[in-house]
Amino acid sequence: MASGAGIFFDGMTSTRHDVAVEAAPDALRVRSADGTLLAEWPYAELRAGSAPGGVLRLIRNGNPVLARLEVRDPELIAAIDHLADTLDQSGRTERRNRKKVVAWSFAATVSLVLVAIFGVPALVERLAPLIPMSVEHRLGLAVEAQVRAMLDTGDRGGQPFECGLADAEKPGRAALDKIISLLEGTAGLPIPLKVVAVRRTEANAIALPGGHIYVFQGLIAKAETADELAGVIAHEIGHVAHRDGTRSVLQAAGLSFLFGMLLGDFTGGGLVVIAAKTVVESAYAREVEAGADLYGVHLVSKAGGDGRALGSMLERIAGTIEPGIKILLDHPQTQQRIAAINAAAGPPQGKALLEPAEWAALKRICG
Amino acid sequence: MTVIDPAAPVAPTGMSARMPVLGGANVPAVRFTGDAGAYWRLLIRGAMRLAITLGIYRFWLATDIRRYLWSHTEVRGDSLEYTGTATELLIGFLIAIAVIIPINLAFFVAALSLGSFGEAVSVLAFPLLAFLGQYAVYRARRYRLTRTVLRGVRFYQDGSAWHYAVCAVFWWMMIALTVGLAYPFAKSRLERFKMRHTHYGTLPGRFEGSGVRLLLRGLPMWILTVGPLLFAAVFAIVTVDWTLMVEAVMREGGDFASRIESVAPGFYAAIVVAIVAAIVSVAMAVVLFPVFQAMVMRWWISGLRFGELSVRSHLRTGQIYGAYARFLLYGLLFLIGALVLAAAGAAALYLFAGSLSQSELTEIVWAGAGILFYVIVMLGFSTIYQATVKLSLWRYGAESCELQGLAALDQVKAAGAPSSAVGEGLADALNVGGF
Repeated sequence: MASGAGIFFDGMTSTRHDVAVEAAPDALRVRSADGTLLAEWPYAELRAGSAPGGVLRLIRNGNPVLARLEVRDPELIAAIDHLADTLDQSGRTERRNRKKVVAWSFAATVSLVLVAIFGVPALVERLAPLIPMSVEHRLGLAVEAQVRAMLDTGDRGGQPFECGLADAEKPGRAALDKIISLLEGTAGLPIPLKVVAVRRTEANAIALPGGHIYVFQGLIAKAETADELAGVIAHEIGHVAHRDGTRSVLQAAGLSFLFGMLLGDFTGGGLVVIAAKTVVESAYAREVEAGADLYGVHLVSKAGGDGRALGSMLERIAGTIEPGIKILLDHPQTQQRIAAINAAAGPPQGKALLEPAEWAALKRICG
Repeated sequence: MTVIDPAAPVAPTGMSARMPVLGGANVPAVRFTGDAGAYWRLLIRGAMRLAITLGIYRFWLATDIRRYLWSHTEVRGDSLEYTGTATELLIGFLIAIAVIIPINLAFFVAALSLGSFGEAVSVLAFPLLAFLGQYAVYRARRYRLTRTVLRGVRFYQDGSAWHYAVCAVFWWMMIALTVGLAYPFAKSRLERFKMRHTHYGTLPGRFEGSGVRLLLRGLPMWILTVGPLLFAAVFAIVTVDWTLMVEAVMREGGDFASRIESVAPGFYAAIVVAIVAAIVSVAMAVVLFPVFQAMVMRWWISGLRFGELSVRSHLRTGQIYGAYARFLLYGLLFLIGALVLAAAGAAALYLFAGSLSQSELTEIVWAGAGILFYVIVMLGFSTIYQATVKLSLWRYGAESCELQGLAALDQVKAAGAPSSAVGEGLADALNVGGF
């Protein structure tokens, strides 16, 4: 029977007891210097606590106090390890448990990513039509207030953010309204459109939940015909009809939930979440944009305009992409988009949507 | 069986080396016996597992790190023991998530409803989360203390975490309002609160660091970093005629810049002064940060008391500079290596992706590669930071301790009970961190 020296803490006080440890076949016995039995621990109840290298720190499972026995004699450690099956001195059990943790966490990660790529869009596809219009209307108001604050950067030499308010601009506003009512009447939307032209220099237009559409001054300047402008507006109406704004809010919420919850606090976790979301969302965005393109082309053609005009407008804008804002230009790459638009558009009907005078007025809607 | 002679006390191997002279200044009463190589291995393996598990492994890594640091820290020859487990941290995190999800959802819904209610909620959200964060910090400290065992007796902490959170939020607001001048008082008040409620068994802790003393020591540094900014503000107030300025801004028509130039010629000088001041201030903050950190740490350790036991820290500022220098050196080497590998990977990907017909797929592949690179770089830096700065702070902080009245540790009775890891979970979910 192996035996040797050890240090014993009884868990009642911090007093250090220099003890003799006996690794008897039936149990581990701890005796004080005068031979008193301080502890008798069955091997089946032994567990090793974390300790520096070369030290075996023994704990008895289920002990109500934090009694500790420290052994440093390598031979005695080997003897105790041999007798106590539950002790894991080689660390094999611990390593096996860790591998299980890593493997299952990895599996969970893979399933999470798959759900993000396939599950969330499928869910949103089914959920979006169930959201009542009144909720979308409310969502639109909240989003609109924020977007307006973001876009309205001030300093326009005293002119209001919105175009078409001054008397000289009223005819332009009337021309814009004509296009809108033509498109809206053809489209038959469940909610009324609220279209405004705003003073922003980018060639862009955006649709928000609840039927809000912002047409930027830069876009009106770039458009050469009324049909081109109508094409872009029809594309945005496509977003409204497909309820893409509501979808993207649902998607963003779903993805934040999926990624944000689990990633938590490891360095830069937050940025990885954003990056991963951007990739997944831009993958959705391709399909969404392609859908809005098709809708826009059909709407303009049905309203009597030239469906191809959206393609020629896109081509012109793509030449001068401004970094940062790419809501309209969000993929698929412009050439593919234009090809798809031309394939979907019927032959031009040779009838302009606006009279030349009306178009000229519309070009001056922002003064 | 070896016969043990009761008359001759057993002298276990290595015993004499582990018994430093009581209270002697030459023999360190606190020792760190860890080896940097083993710590690096632990961290690198952990970082790789973090990457493939999207961070779920963090509970296990945090537990490993603590076990390592605790068990390699000896107080008078007896090493600390960390008894916490990863499962406890995981459960704490799940509980915290259960608490935070409804709160987040409530904010989301409230932000959607317009009007004063929505505004009030979005204004309230930040202080509420800050408050919850401080609550979590205190609860997390409680968890760590009750999982710290020395000589068969655990540390524990009582006191109300809500009370602490109220004090902490108040003091952080004071710090913001005084541009940092209140920091020494905040630190000493909060540390007093924490230590007053900290116990080692029946031995009560307390904190005796003086806020005034910390303020006096730190004042030169405060003047060097905040001074330039204050100077720029005063300069701008004195040189620019603000009433004319406001009129010029309000007046409409004409070029904005020339309007201002005509009424306030000092305006651009003030802007230049402000930019220079900001640069000086940031440079000072970067250069002086290790000095500041060493000063606060020395002051903090020297203020710790447990009953009759008192601590003095002899931490040298050079040691902290050394830690940051190693961090920068290893970080630079790692970055160069990572960039070289990334360039090689990008070249290979370019050759491979060039053969793909679908441009969308190519883009996704590139974006994925970009995210992977980012994750590797961030995890790499975090690992290097842990193995250099964090480890050095722990090691030098421990080794520089001089203990007086060590006999107080000999007869402590056990007290306290383990607490739940909810605080750790909340701190994790709210990103307020800790060890």
